[in-house]
Amino acid sequence: MAPARRRSRPPRLGGATAPLQALAMALLAIGLTGLQPNLLLGAMAIGLGALTALKLWEARSLAEHRLVSLLQLVCAGLLASMRPELGPSLLQAAAILLALAGLLALELDAGLGWQVLLRRSAQVLAAALPLALVLFLLVPRLSPFSAIPSQRGSTAMVGLSDSLEPGSIAELVGNASPAARVAFAGGQPPATEQRYWRVLVHDRFDGQRWTSSTAPAAEPNDPRQRSDSTPAAAGATQLWLTEPSSLVAVPWSGRGRPLSQELLADAGGELLHRGPSDQRRVYAIADDDSVNPWQQQPPSPADLGLPRGQNPRLEALAARWAALPVPIQRLEAAQRWFDSQNFSYSTNPGTLPRQAPLDAFLFERRQGFCGHYASSFTALMRAAGVPARVVSGYRGGRWVQAIGGNSYLDLRQADAHAWSEVWLPGEGWRLVDPSRWIASGGPGLDADQARSGAMGWLQQEWLQQQWWGLDIGWTRLWLGYDRQSQQALLQRLLGDQLQWLGALVLLVLGLCLAVSLAALSWLQRRSEGDAPRRALEAILHQLAWAGLGPEPGETLPAFAARVEQRWPQLVPELERFVDLYQQRRYGPPSRPDRADRELRHSRRQLQHRIQRLPR
Amino acid sequence: MSRPTANTAATASLDRVIAAISQVLLGKDNQVRLAVACLLARGHLLIEDLPGVGKTTLAEALARSFGLAFKRVSFTSDLLPADLTGINVFDPSSGRFEFQSGPLFSQVLLADEINRASPRTQSALLEAMAAGRVSVDGVSHPLPSPFLVIATQNGLDQGGTSPLPESQLDRFLMRLQLGFPQRQAEAALLRGEGLRPEALDTQLQATDLLRLQDQAAGLHTSDSLIAYVLDLLALSREASQPGLPLSPRAGLGLLAAARGWALLAGRDHVVPDDVLAVLAAVCEHRLDGGQCGASPGERSRLLQAGVDGIR
Repeated sequence: MAPARRRSRPPRLGGATAPLQALAMALLAIGLTGLQPNLLLGAMAIGLGALTALKLWEARSLAEHRLVSLLQLVCAGLLASMRPELGPSLLQAAAILLALAGLLALELDAGLGWQVLLRRSAQVLAAALPLALVLFLLVPRLSPFSAIPSQRGSTAMVGLSDSLEPGSIAELVGNASPAARVAFAGGQPPATEQRYWRVLVHDRFDGQRWTSSTAPAAEPNDPRQRSDSTPAAAGATQLWLTEPSSLVAVPWSGRGRPLSQELLADAGGELLHRGPSDQRRVYAIADDDSVNPWQQQPPSPADLGLPRGQNPRLEALAARWAALPVPIQRLEAAQRWFDSQNFSYSTNPGTLPRQAPLDAFLFERRQGFCGHYASSFTALMRAAGVPARVVSGYRGGRWVQAIGGNSYLDLRQADAHAWSEVWLPGEGWRLVDPSRWIASGGPGLDADQARSGAMGWLQQEWLQQQWWGLDIGWTRLWLGYDRQSQQALLQRLLGDQLQWLGALVLLVLGLCLAVSLAALSWLQRRSEGDAPRRALEAILHQLAWAGLGPEPGETLPAFAARVEQRWPQLVPELERFVDLYQQRRYGPPSRPDRADRELRHSRRQLQHRIQRLPR
Repeated sequence: MSRPTANTAATASLDRVIAAISQVLLGKDNQVRLAVACLLARGHLLIEDLPGVGKTTLAEALARSFGLAFKRVSFTSDLLPADLTGINVFDPSSGRFEFQSGPLFSQVLLADEINRASPRTQSALLEAMAAGRVSVDGVSHPLPSPFLVIATQNGLDQGGTSPLPESQLDRFLMRLQLGFPQRQAEAALLRGEGLRPEALDTQLQATDLLRLQDQAAGLHTSDSLIAYVLDLLALSREASQPGLPLSPRAGLGLLAAARGWALLAGRDHVVPDDVLAVLAAVCEHRLDGGQCGASPGERSRLLQAGVDGIR
């Protein structure tokens, strides 16, 4: 039964259409696999992709293949709205090129080669470029579709985790996988000692682990509330590209003003990103020295919380400092104490005992990594009555200058770090990194030199860096142009005449549309032959609509005779048109411009006649 | 078509010739026009049909109405080349050999039953057709101008014959099949309404024909038309196409015959319809290699259908 049915299906369409569309489909499938199906738009795009693939599989007729091409273009557009990074953008461009070539193979209906089709397709895309540019510049920016508030991350990926329990870690394994890349305004990174990129704030301590209690309750980063602020100058932003992470919080310096609408700075100073996790995140931060609210946010009782009696020696030490009247003196005393003891940095200190782990570290082992120092220092400060908390994030990073002027700071998971913040009345939260008091310093600050030697010789690494540089440049292009930049551009263009904006936008849009259409028709003219041929094609098309088309091998007079037999009312106009056409096409060349004019006139008369045929 | 051209006078005189011939050969307008087009294209004509359908009548009427000298030779198996070309005969009075020209030295030669002659004789005739001259004992004698061979053969009764090979069929510009007349035309024939060829008046002189032939050769063929002919030739050479491939000479013949047909239609240029009008007559015997099939013109029709005529 099944074979018989298969035989009865019409054969596949010949030509390059099907293979081109299959290629485009493959590229789209690659792009779609990068989407998250649990987001509404992602699910829609994946569903549409699957639908398109099925349609392509069963497509036989011209109309079906046409539909496939259009669906593929819609798919590519959906993808582009979700994945605007450089790699996916290139993939989408290739898919659009192929889908368009497939459509052209269908519409031009000639045995055109791949190269010709792809070139034509590129020409069509080039013709659409002015319009795309104007739309990019002028169409108002919408808030991102994917801005769905998600839960605070619960699962930890490599590098950072939302809980910190240094005592349970026997050995810290260096992980060189990429964490984030930052491009800075002016192309210069901050000074080395300022490179602290905070991600998570841990204010709860149960004696073993540090966790966070801060609720993301701060006001959303709504640009309307910041309307009084000056539009960000295009260059004065930090551009962040972070690798997929299940954490909602993303790294930042703690200073500056979050620009991207997905961003939200909470009271504790965590920067939350509302975009989909498990995907690369891209955001911009205005690079200024404004004081952020979190720095002046008074401490809560939790910032003094310490389970009493667990680490008696620690408490005894802190009690001595608690007698000092000013918190800053207690801090200085702690620094002196750390300096005086024989602490050393180690990535494999072994686990600490469950009982009194901090005592064991401070007074017996005296070796550990950043987590140990931040943890015990913060506990000491709390015991001494100074509000303090542990902050984890990244420190340092490697400054990479890729060719093309795209320089950036390369943060790896190995740059993960933990430090402390203490509350000083009158000053606010101050960053204190106890690891830096240790003689050997630890990794991070001098990691630039350590790693650059190991990486320089790796060609693959070099290529990766250049690609990231391009990626940053591309991201700066599309993300740097946000709503503020758009308004700034329009203000610069229009001055105070913003009320004319609508009219002007329409005017420019119309102009661009006209330019694109002119370019397209010019391309079409070149592809479809001369003026008489186009006149004839128009007439044949109209007659085909009316219900009569030429038989195979039939000549124009023979076809015209059949048409006249069916619609005698066409006789005079059709006779004249055929006569003029044959004369122009086969006659000796004489005054071709006049002949073309006559032919055009005759064509119009005939078309008028055909329109009035009874249907 | 409707617009007047410089060829109106020529067309009027040709119309008169065709009308005159049609008085003799009743109801065969198309074949008469094809034969005249063949004559205008300086081509030779092969008529393949049963005896008694008017082959000789057509040849004689053509010759007479164009004012051409006409000779007829019945080909038999013992016909020698010298019987066609003529021989050198010793003249006692002058003491020299004088060339006594054979029947080939006429303006229209009707070669009846050409497939009954030996291949040697056929070959001599076909050489004369191609070269327009005859060599006897080392002396070259030009044939008269215009020179047209109308050969006939009976396609059915092939016993004891030497069928023309493809290479020689290619020398004939057209192959016509007359077929039985329509009932009405045959009724008129039976009533004695047709004229005898001898009764025809001479409509044109031989010089007029030469002038018309020149005029036909000068008709305009546009690039589009050449492309159309090239497409037809290319299609015939495709492996999927039944029949033998068409030679470049076939292409030249097709274009020449189409020019003749266009002149008959009174145009100063050739259109695809002219090509199609002569396509079967010019190409069918080249496509089927002389094997007249059960469905005459089938291969030409396939060619026509395979090439887009609207261009």
